[in-house]
Amino acid sequence: MSSPITTWEGASAVFTFADSPMGIAISLAAAVGIYLYLNLSIMKHEKDAFDKHK
Amino acid sequence: MSVETLQSTFEMHQSMNVEVFYWWCTAIMFMIHAGFLAYEIGASRVKNALTSGMKNILTLSVIIPTFYFFGWWIYNAFPNGFIPIDASAALPWSTSMGPDVTDMGTGIFFAAFALFGATTGSILSGAVIERIRLSAFLILAAILGSAVWILAGAWGWHPDGWLLTELGYHDVGASGVVHAVAGFFALGVLMNLGARVGKFKDGVAMYIPPHNLPMSLIGLMMIIVGFFGFLGGCIIFNGGDTGWTTIYGNPTNLSAFAFNTLMGFAGGVLGAYMTSREPFWTMSGGLGGIISVAAGLDLYYPGLAFVVAASGGALMPIIGRLVDKLGVDDAVGAVAVHGFCGLYGVVMVGVFCAGYPNVGDLPPISFSGQLLGAVIMALVGFIPGWGISYVMKKMSMLRVPPHVEVLGLDLVEIPAKPYPETVPANAVVENTLKPGQENQLA
Repeated sequence: MSSPITTWEGASAVFTFADSPMGIAISLAAAVGIYLYLNLSIMKHEKDAFDKHK
Repeated sequence: MSVETLQSTFEMHQSMNVEVFYWWCTAIMFMIHAGFLAYEIGASRVKNALTSGMKNILTLSVIIPTFYFFGWWIYNAFPNGFIPIDASAALPWSTSMGPDVTDMGTGIFFAAFALFGATTGSILSGAVIERIRLSAFLILAAILGSAVWILAGAWGWHPDGWLLTELGYHDVGASGVVHAVAGFFALGVLMNLGARVGKFKDGVAMYIPPHNLPMSLIGLMMIIVGFFGFLGGCIIFNGGDTGWTTIYGNPTNLSAFAFNTLMGFAGGVLGAYMTSREPFWTMSGGLGGIISVAAGLDLYYPGLAFVVAASGGALMPIIGRLVDKLGVDDAVGAVAVHGFCGLYGVVMVGVFCAGYPNVGDLPPISFSGQLLGAVIMALVGFIPGWGISYVMKKMSMLRVPPHVEVLGLDLVEIPAKPYPETVPANAVVENTLKPGQENQLA
């Protein structure tokens, strides 16, 4: 269950996993992972492209 | 309806107005990036046009998440210098950093600041076109846009920043914390990156013409439009009976910003025209003029703002030529437009606004405070820009190989052609291929 609320009465933080540190940690780690992978994938693309055109 | 209900309804509408204001400021700031996209594509040669565009698109998309990961925390944690204070609410795992039906401020301020950061990345982007590795640029852009400038912002653009509390530093429109920092970061990177092949011949700077100057001019005008969102985002919409204030807490309003933004634009254009007669610099003068007056938008007499902007705009092309003479290849004049005019703007507040009080017990604006603040902004930008790019250079991570630069980055890296029906990619490079490489043009 990703919902931190069961009713809108008195609700504050309503985002997915707001009451679940593990859910936030996994989501954040995945987001950081995508960012890091982007950098690695660009480096690989550059190396392949540069080598191809030597 | 009871008085309490009316009061509650009124306060809710005030909070909604605050959100609406910054929402649209953020949206208008995207125009800055549309402008930089057109500007830099136009400023590139045909063989690098799409790579320059791709760099701009990705700049936004790496600075936004990294600003979420650590940039917003840096702003909130470092107003005192290098020792962080408790800013746990700004950490990305805080419940404040996501949809909260009782918080109508955090997200919208985060968004505006993230776009300020993206602007710094775009300032760097133009300076380094046509020879930087995309991977290196995106790392540098994330560091500049989500760490370096926002550290300067925490010091000089924060109600508790030490530059304000110790020196009375005044920089309402971010001449120093955004433009000077980004311009000097770019200078540091350019010194390690080196010039484009063919830029200097026997030590003399050659003119490498943009492939589409009209597109660059339109892009620059789009950046001016985006500046209205940027400068709107620099003012604090408090709601209640406080009204508008600067980020330093002194009263101001959008009318003050309107007077001086327009006079700054006009003065900058005319000043740059007078010393360049050249459309690229003249249009850049609009930016340079606004940046020259941005630090004191809330205080200048508009006639004085015009003079400050005209002098900043007039000096800007001269500084650009000086950068050339020093052997630094700044493809779009970012060091002159943003670095120089940013510093000039901060110092001019010291010249003309010294003695203005700050709120409470904070020290008044002073020439020495502004001058020291300007030096700090330049160093905060230059030192990491030079240092990190130096390490990248030593690791051969910074610059594309010479054969790629000669061929053109689009042909090598981008699976698309900018003008396939009018300017085939092979028309650009056919004289530079080695035997046996013709099939790579398909």
